[in-house]
Amino acid sequence: MSESNPIDTEFVDFAIREHRSLWLDAWRRLLASKTAMLGLFVVGLFVLTAGLSHYFWKYDPKSDLDYSSKLLAPNLVVTEDSPIIHIFGTDKLGRDNFRRVVHGGWNSLRVGLVAVSISLIIGGLLGLLAGFFESIDMNFWEKVTLMGLLGLGLGSLSAWVAAQPFQVLLFLGLGILSVVFQKWEAGNKLRLFVFSILGMLLGGVPGFLVGPMVGLVCGVLGLIGGLILSRPLGGKVFSDVTMRIMDVILSFPSYLLAIAIVAFLGPGLEKGMIAIGVVGIPIYARLARSAVLSVSQKEYVLAAQAVGESHGRVLFKHIVPNILSPIIVQSTMGLANAILSAAALGFLGLGAIPPEPEWGAMLGDSYKYLSSGAWWAVLFPGLAIMLSVLGFNLLGDGLRDALDPKMRI
Amino acid sequence: MGRYILRRLISVLPTLIGVTLIIFLFQRLIPGDPAVAMLGEHATQENVERIREQFGLNRPAFLDREALANGDLAGFFDSQYIRYIERLLHFDLGNSIHRRIPVLETLGERFPATMELALLSMFIALLIGLPVGIASAARRNSTLDGVTMVGSLIGVSMPIFWLGIMEIMLFSVFLKWLPSGGRLSTGMVITPITNLLLVDSLLTGNISGFIDALKNIAMPALALATIPTAIIARMTRSSMLDVLQEDYIRTAKAKGLVERVVLFRHALKNAFLPVITIIGIQVGTLLAGAVLTETIFSWPGIGKWVYDSILGRDYPIVQGVTLLIAIIFLLVNLIVDISYATIDPRISYD
Repeated sequence: MSESNPIDTEFVDFAIREHRSLWLDAWRRLLASKTAMLGLFVVGLFVLTAGLSHYFWKYDPKSDLDYSSKLLAPNLVVTEDSPIIHIFGTDKLGRDNFRRVVHGGWNSLRVGLVAVSISLIIGGLLGLLAGFFESIDMNFWEKVTLMGLLGLGLGSLSAWVAAQPFQVLLFLGLGILSVVFQKWEAGNKLRLFVFSILGMLLGGVPGFLVGPMVGLVCGVLGLIGGLILSRPLGGKVFSDVTMRIMDVILSFPSYLLAIAIVAFLGPGLEKGMIAIGVVGIPIYARLARSAVLSVSQKEYVLAAQAVGESHGRVLFKHIVPNILSPIIVQSTMGLANAILSAAALGFLGLGAIPPEPEWGAMLGDSYKYLSSGAWWAVLFPGLAIMLSVLGFNLLGDGLRDALDPKMRI
Repeated sequence: MGRYILRRLISVLPTLIGVTLIIFLFQRLIPGDPAVAMLGEHATQENVERIREQFGLNRPAFLDREALANGDLAGFFDSQYIRYIERLLHFDLGNSIHRRIPVLETLGERFPATMELALLSMFIALLIGLPVGIASAARRNSTLDGVTMVGSLIGVSMPIFWLGIMEIMLFSVFLKWLPSGGRLSTGMVITPITNLLLVDSLLTGNISGFIDALKNIAMPALALATIPTAIIARMTRSSMLDVLQEDYIRTAKAKGLVERVVLFRHALKNAFLPVITIIGIQVGTLLAGAVLTETIFSWPGIGKWVYDSILGRDYPIVQGVTLLIAIIFLLVNLIVDISYATIDPRISYD
């Protein structure tokens, strides 16, 4: 192309070339990949059976109990011993395993979806903002919001100590003041001095009305607050603090943290979803932040800013669409992980509360009967976990290849 | 270098404080009265009081503003969290609620079992994952490469607790080759030196003990190694593929070097950095996975202990073990960070 004559290009009629969007392109690449199609098929199969069975094949786990047919081996034809067909056999309470595996899928997919949504929405948003404000200067109102919130946070500490809620507003004002007077070039030291004294007074004076010691502590808190608020802080601080908190969560091996949270909260499917979701937040925050950082200095983002588009528009119209692919890939793989973690919780007795059907819990229920040779009670729920997780992983792998041919992990 | 290490060590401190904060906050997640929750409905008043005292549950969580209003500055800081930190600084992880012995004591007894399992699993993962990853990168798009990619995807999708159960079913229930649980068969004795049974039995020349310990550890180690093996193989492959596209690899090949030399001397050295990061992260997977693996194989390590403690609502144990694992994980990743500088001379930190 670079060697071609500029006049030549005028003869290329771009209108004739078939219009293909990025997404259509990616979809075609996905269709061409055998492994991705296999993944899509497996995922589709699980979604369909789980959805259909939930709505059209009523199952009441509470009344499902039949001791006369407990731990029956799978049978595909009707015999005298087993008049009913159980293609996956029955469990220790005589419940049909096939039915429970199919219905368990609904719970597993639900946990996966909710957990990933929690991590994606909170983590993604935090990461977006962190990355955006790390690379782009905040405008006046954004600074006011940031400093106001910071003042609010710092003030609430002092307000709590003195049991005087109005102190929160004082520090909120101090934060905003710092932005309003950001042009005030009085030299660093004077500025620090003025703001720390102001902070000390705002905290200390009301505090003294409660008691001398309260005044002392609130004064010190106010002094520190004033020091922090003395300069209008930029987005880098927001990003640093957010990512630091993410680091703390990441310093636990992920599902150990989920197990620990649910261990204290008590078992339950909903609690499991929340725990798995919270634990996943840092992954999306980090991913979104680094993706934003990688595009935020691209020409089209700079151009959008140069023509005076608002920060919100730049972020959601120009940046977000361009960082979607890694996030879509991560979400697909995240679903796989969430299903796996949920099954682990269920296996440990921390997930779904029996008799609710859930794959992990079914395994945990049945593996003690292994010595009696009841292999079917553990084979099928486990196979369901593995296949559904594999399906999402295959799909995620295929999506990665389709959405970004350069990436390869 | 020294300054960098120091700086990294200091930067871990805020994270460490955050970790203790999260672990402290765990006990505030307990619904209802924590003391009653820990002891069960039928606890005696005396025991409830004992637990309240042990955890300082009658104190406020972080700061006591009432004490401050009365002019008591020391009382202001006398809170559950500060007491918790104080105890941690004295290496006191609290006492088990039911057995009433220090958590740290049992932790010391149980940790070697987990460490032995985790070390062997990591060894297996490296032994399989690295060569397979290198080979499939060197023979890209070959049958071996295809098998590796599919195999590793199945590996990361494997619920290891299910794999463990299937192993027991096959090797213990049907074939009766391997014992289904425990570290040693009953009646077998190994003189403890390091408390790692495989090492101890070799050191004392106890061959039958070694074989027995090996038979016991084989299944849990294989189950635990599944995910790290798959991830290490994938990472090694992709990292090697990246490096193999570099110009200096082409140069090395062009000047007629043997493939083995190009692969190991030129490529692997440079491809190793991301692999080391992944290995560091896998330590966390191993320690967390221990809860599942040890539960299935009745392995007397900290994972099984956590499981039993969750069932028995022995919260100090859950907190203590979680803290220990988080600290180990932090340290391993710190070592990984620092080792970058020694492995890759291009990275300088000053």
